[in-house]
Amino acid sequence: MLAYLIRRLVLTVPTFVLVAIAVFTLVRLIPGDPVQVMLGDAVDPSLAELYRTQLGLDQSVPVQFFYWLSHVAEGDFGHSISNGVAVLPLILQRFTVSASIVLVAVILATMIAVPAGLTAAWKQNRSLDTGIVSMATILLSIPSFWLGLLLLIVFGLNLGWLPVVGYISMRENLGQALLYMILPVLTLTLTESGILTRMMRASSIEVLRLEYVTHARAKGLAESKVLMRHVLPNAFAPTWTMIGLIMGHLLGGIAVIETVFTIPGLGRLLVDSIYARDYPVVQGCLLFTAAIYMVINLIVDFCYPLFDPRVLAE
Amino acid sequence: MKTSLPQTNTFLGSLLIGGLLLLIALSFFWTPYDPLGLDLASRLKPPSIEHWAGTDEFGRDVFSRAMTGARISALISSFTVIIAVIFGTTLGLLAGYLRGWTDRALMTLTDALLSFPGVLLALGLMVVLGASQFGLVVALGLAYMPAVIRVVRSAVLSIREKEFIEASLVIGNSEFYTMLRHVLPNAIAPIAVLATSMFGWALLSESALSFLGLGVSPPTPTWGNMLASSRPYMETAIWLGIVPGICITATLLGVNLLGDSLRDYLDPRTNGS
Amino acid sequence: MKLQSCAQSFLVALSLLFSIEGGAAAHAETMLKARINSDILSTDPGTKRDENTDGVVLHMVEGLVAFREDTSVGPLLAKSIVVSDDGLTYTFTLRDGVHFHNGALLTSKEVLWSLNRYLDPETHWRCLPEFDGNGVAKILSVTAPDAMTVRIKLDTPSPLFLTTLARQDCGGTGIMHPDSVKPDGSWDKPIGTGPFKFGIWKTGDYIELDAFNDYASRDEPMDGNTGGKKAEVDKVRFLVIPDSSAARAALLSGAIDVLNGVTPSELAAFKGRDDVTLDKHALMDIYAILLQTKDPLLQDVRIRQALALSIDRAALADAVSMGIAAANTSAVPVSSPFYGPVEKSVAPADIAAARKLLKEAGYKGEPIKLIANKRYPQMFDAAILVQAMAQQAGIKIDLEVLDWATELDRYSDGSYQAMSFSYSARLDPSLSFGAFMGDKALQPRKVWDDPEALELLRQSMTTQDKAERQALFDALHAKMLQQVPLIVLYNPAHVIATRNNVEGFRGWPTVQQRFWNVKIR
Repeated sequence: MLAYLIRRLVLTVPTFVLVAIAVFTLVRLIPGDPVQVMLGDAVDPSLAELYRTQLGLDQSVPVQFFYWLSHVAEGDFGHSISNGVAVLPLILQRFTVSASIVLVAVILATMIAVPAGLTAAWKQNRSLDTGIVSMATILLSIPSFWLGLLLLIVFGLNLGWLPVVGYISMRENLGQALLYMILPVLTLTLTESGILTRMMRASSIEVLRLEYVTHARAKGLAESKVLMRHVLPNAFAPTWTMIGLIMGHLLGGIAVIETVFTIPGLGRLLVDSIYARDYPVVQGCLLFTAAIYMVINLIVDFCYPLFDPRVLAE
Repeated sequence: MKTSLPQTNTFLGSLLIGGLLLLIALSFFWTPYDPLGLDLASRLKPPSIEHWAGTDEFGRDVFSRAMTGARISALISSFTVIIAVIFGTTLGLLAGYLRGWTDRALMTLTDALLSFPGVLLALGLMVVLGASQFGLVVALGLAYMPAVIRVVRSAVLSIREKEFIEASLVIGNSEFYTMLRHVLPNAIAPIAVLATSMFGWALLSESALSFLGLGVSPPTPTWGNMLASSRPYMETAIWLGIVPGICITATLLGVNLLGDSLRDYLDPRTNGS
Repeated sequence: MKLQSCAQSFLVALSLLFSIEGGAAAHAETMLKARINSDILSTDPGTKRDENTDGVVLHMVEGLVAFREDTSVGPLLAKSIVVSDDGLTYTFTLRDGVHFHNGALLTSKEVLWSLNRYLDPETHWRCLPEFDGNGVAKILSVTAPDAMTVRIKLDTPSPLFLTTLARQDCGGTGIMHPDSVKPDGSWDKPIGTGPFKFGIWKTGDYIELDAFNDYASRDEPMDGNTGGKKAEVDKVRFLVIPDSSAARAALLSGAIDVLNGVTPSELAAFKGRDDVTLDKHALMDIYAILLQTKDPLLQDVRIRQALALSIDRAALADAVSMGIAAANTSAVPVSSPFYGPVEKSVAPADIAAARKLLKEAGYKGEPIKLIANKRYPQMFDAAILVQAMAQQAGIKIDLEVLDWATELDRYSDGSYQAMSFSYSARLDPSLSFGAFMGDKALQPRKVWDDPEALELLRQSMTTQDKAERQALFDALHAKMLQQVPLIVLYNPAHVIATRNNVEGFRGWPTVQQRFWNVKIR
């Protein structure tokens, strides 16, 4: 187990280096200059030069790259060009915000999708199945930010029940935090439960057709027990992989949702810093996102055997 | 009592996509108004007999723009899928068939690409390539390519051990011929299913990028940028958002339903009944 | 075992998640919430700054002098200012009983420390170039003859010396206590004399200021950045809300109390709301289409003139601003005292004349690329309208929408054919013209490079007589209309929306928001 873990970790190193090179190249290919964005149209050439020298932007790109990479290797992601804040703490702080919303939404979506998908598969091609599948397909088809905006207008502006901008951390005030989270979490839960439900249904249908289910039924086991004991554990494995994929992608930033609800999360940080050409922050965000994705993948892989007895048996 | 879900799906999906195609075909010859024609005298007019879907902040006819937008959005999504499929299939075949060093290098590349969420990757690329249809297609195509590589590779890995592949090689066919003639056709089913999903993702990503300010540059209408630019008027001129929103949702619904039918047809095992 | 390790990894992830953030906020009695459209860049006055930063920082620090409402300069921390007859020596007497946020009394020692810090190149004070010999006037010495007196000696008399000290982008040359800086010399937080003191800054989220109860106010009524000030709320929180639609939703739902700067496209949503008051005034920013006179196609002045003739300024200004901006063909802003009869005459569009010029120039429908961006909706909207209007005269314009940073890059390189752009407010017409006039070979971002016009501009900067300056600006204006290096379109209006529970918030000719003397009910 440990050896496998180490081998997997070692395998991610070349990927990570490739990502770092790609990130740096991509960021420097972007036209525009952070100093110019900061100074706007009232640019004073001598002042701009001063800033560039101060930020090390007057060095050649390869020099900047090796400087950056050697510092990243030591855990120093540098400082933001626009406000001088250290990049890593900034990313962690923003990540916490995004992650709390994503985690809650994915957990809720799973709690909806698993029973819904299982039921749909069990009642395959009956009207209940049709209803569930239609609902899931519609949810899958709505642009998430549009759904968010509609919810914002209805519950935030017209009814005035829920706050429309901002975020309060759970440590600050749990009740308020939950209130502020409702709309973004609801939006994400709805859109993500669509795809998860369909996934769960598809894998449940496959399992239902397997011999041992027929066997269990033939033995006279109650239908609910068949579903809970035999179908659910086996059908959950592919869904679990999908949850991992979704988490990996969402944790990289729900920029669109964060923009709609003005949440200071990782996605908005990345978008804002791309626009401001804040190189250290953009690089840090992209690298961090890639790392998160890899970590989630590892966790998913390690937990996979739990849900798929076949793998466990091997 | 059974309702025949698959048939209903196919019917509804065909209806939605057929309608879309009809709208696109029509938009080549005719739209009620010039989709780019400004009319400052009639700005933000609600739907009426003259303007079926109202007018936008510049007095442009929303229905005409939605028709033209359908064409451009569909083209973008199609080209994205084509790029992702062509390059993804080629690389996936190479990885799966040649294995060894090529496979390892390609998989590292795929993992690296996959570790950026699609929209983020596209966002970065769009700034580099510029907000154009070309930039968008390349950016999204590149973002979706890894998924195709993975699917094709795993299909090839499972196929290449089959007897008929060996047989083909034994009777003296070249590896290249074998790959094209025997391996590729067997990978088509998963590619087709994935391609329908990707069409939908592309449509959604285009609107998300527009929303973040980096989609296809207006005034060229796409559903995504129509939806994005309706935002200031969401309460006062709801038709501006409703029209492209419903267009996107309906199209995605159609694509998903047809995708299900396609899956059932290509792989009857998953459906059963 | 596997289940355990899996569960453990989750627990570790979760606990990490909640341990990263910290800090609990006390509940305030009264809090006023306002919006800034991007996070502030620092709390160090006049260094890393933008308009939002200045606006926040000027609640905490005050300078010797400050702008009044009418953009003249008045004393703030100074009780009196005596200028020597040769105009070279400024003697400031400080007000008594002024406290810093840490309780210390204001004396000449802190003023000396602050000014010397600004004049140290290591501080990177934005306005240092004005005082190091290349700008307004060189500061020869700063001395403190006694505890309440500060004396500054200049190398040349300059009517702009006090104005520059008062400038918002210079941080108002705010006077701070030396403890604002950590022992190692790095910046900590501003310990100033303003009516609010530094509270919490959550980057990307909000910055919060606390009322300073020992604030020593001037006796006069509130006037610009000086005059009487009092913190009437316990806290002011500036929320970072970049998106203008989100900001509008925030105001309408009560999440913020003041929205300083409503985007015109958002205005419709405020109509018919009796809980919100709108207030608007003209700004001195200039929206214009810049034309590259070195471009092979646009170097023909007739094509540039034709383009200018095809644009109906009044209709355009009306459309982009929902009827609140003022059309203008001149670089002299509508609200400037130099906006005279010559500048006022906005020529109507003349399609026939435009077509005639195009024919003479032999224009055959070659497309002109017009650059715009989506970050500033008005620049984008103006571009769309110009495209449509030019089309009527037979000029083909292709829009190229870039993101703002890329557009700025092209602007400073001069690598464009046409560009929809906006110059930020400059208080004097000489500065407005100066923003786009200059030698293109040296500064590619300059738009208008005409020796005769540059000579007129130079004269306008040295002449004091108002009538003479007016004549110079009129001549410049006529030349500009004839040569069309850029097409000025309009001056925007600044709209402030306040919820009705807010009392006393006032806008003024700058976009800086001021929350002293503002009550919340």
